[in-house]
Amino acid sequence: MRFFRKSWKYQVSTIVKYLFLIIVAIVSLYPFIWVLISSFKDNNSIFGDPFGMPVKIAFENYKEVWAGADVGRNFFNSMLVCLATLVILIIITSMGCYILTRVWKSTFLSTYFSLGIMIPIHALLIPSVLIFKKIGLTDNLFSLVLMYTATNISLSMYIMNGFFDSIPREMDEAATIDGCSRSQIFLRIIFPIAKPGIATVATLAFLNCWNDLLMGLVLISSPQKKTLSLAISALKGSYATRYGLLCAGFVISIVPVVIMYLLFQKQVIAGMTAGAVKG
Amino acid sequence: MNRYKKVPVCIGFLLPVFLIYTIFLFVPLIQSAYYSLTSWNGVTEKVFVGLDNFKALFENGDYWITFWNTIKLVIISLLIQIPVGLILAYLLYSKVKGMKIFRTIFFLPVVIAPVAISLMFSLFYNSEIGVFNRILEAIGLGSLATNWLSNIHTLLYAVMVPQVWQYIGLYVTIFLGALQSMPEELSESAQIDGANRTQTFFHVVLPEIANFTNICVILCVTGSLKAFEHSWIMTGGGPGVRSAYLGVYMYKTAFVNSDFGTGSAITVTIVLLSLVITVLFNAISAWREKR
Repeated sequence: MRFFRKSWKYQVSTIVKYLFLIIVAIVSLYPFIWVLISSFKDNNSIFGDPFGMPVKIAFENYKEVWAGADVGRNFFNSMLVCLATLVILIIITSMGCYILTRVWKSTFLSTYFSLGIMIPIHALLIPSVLIFKKIGLTDNLFSLVLMYTATNISLSMYIMNGFFDSIPREMDEAATIDGCSRSQIFLRIIFPIAKPGIATVATLAFLNCWNDLLMGLVLISSPQKKTLSLAISALKGSYATRYGLLCAGFVISIVPVVIMYLLFQKQVIAGMTAGAVKG
Repeated sequence: MNRYKKVPVCIGFLLPVFLIYTIFLFVPLIQSAYYSLTSWNGVTEKVFVGLDNFKALFENGDYWITFWNTIKLVIISLLIQIPVGLILAYLLYSKVKGMKIFRTIFFLPVVIAPVAISLMFSLFYNSEIGVFNRILEAIGLGSLATNWLSNIHTLLYAVMVPQVWQYIGLYVTIFLGALQSMPEELSESAQIDGANRTQTFFHVVLPEIANFTNICVILCVTGSLKAFEHSWIMTGGGPGVRSAYLGVYMYKTAFVNSDFGTGSAITVTIVLLSLVITVLFNAISAWREKR
């Protein structure tokens, strides 16, 4: 008797549960699919049949936006800035973390470095423009690299600290006895073991750089130096009514991030929720 | 002897990160606070004016419009993102097939640039293609169709929707992590004691993950206070400042109108608001834990 009641109720609630989850999944995913499909269409077919499949798969929109609107160059700029930021960020924060977790535990410095988690990028915009004017880096991609590095230090150090702390101290001691210097211990032992932590930091920093608009908006002015987010925001003005082109530009701008997300999902989620766990 | 030997290594290793962090994050922060006390267009000499910028701001109607727009976004985000995030996480937690696939899909919008999301939604709102309007017609609500980004009554909410939609997945993921870290015996023993699922949820699960809820609330509030891209890309904050948040108003004041003093003052109010709210919520959670 009980079994029947439970199974009937259970089935209905299971169906409702899955139905709800599937609807939410469609709401999350369908907008992207719509843009992807529309990126292969011309205006006529977007207007005529906005929800239909393209008549034929045509890459004209992509060709035009990549070469004609010079999105290719912006893509390259963004890649350059992101990679340079990653390299600098990872080298300097892992070095700093190594000292602060294993050699010289300074509460003052640790607190100082953690302050940045609370600071919104808005607070740095006006002074940063003036600083870069002063040191002659106006409208220079390297100014973006420096700002992205600085704004990612706090969270990166917080994430890395956890990984560095979990490496047993005996490793350092054994290496010292074997005659390794501090820098050798860092390069040969700690850095390789902390790789998962470094991967998390790298994915998070990449997303932050790739997705930023504000810093680019105030630090970069010439079109050939624009990053991809700046170019995408400008597309809306210059191709306001060429919807297929806008869609193609959109797809190009999110492809690297989507690939990264699918490949490194674990690190992406760990990185993006790390700030949350810190609170 | 050994104590002093490590000093050069410490300095050498710490110096790069310390310098970049100090010069490009800490010093600008202090400068921002100082600029907020000056009258300055970025070209002529700075004039120290004390708190005049703040006084002028608080008497400025535009500031209050953007202030209340931001507060509306905070409230709507809290009312939608947190409950929906929690419900979805709880559903995924209850042994759903394909849990990981659902999580992957829900989290996807979180990683996409707000610029791209805003561009996408301006296409959906567009009255020529009218994706939203056509969907409304299809489900029999055609009478609601409107020009979302120019209708003064829908404008602000149309700008908020993409942002609220985009970040729900973040809260799903945080809550799901919280639920998974909860000892399983807890809800099992409650069910053995005769509690039904709703009771278990409110009396056992919710108190257990209270800390995470607190974190989500802080994230949600500080995230909304920083809002910029969605409004800037879709409407430019306009008409006037109708659909602008504090972040957009700051950007317009400082970089469109070249009023660096007032712009910095707006920034200071944003930073202070987020600090106060974070400290407040942390204090509440510490107090609750003590009880």
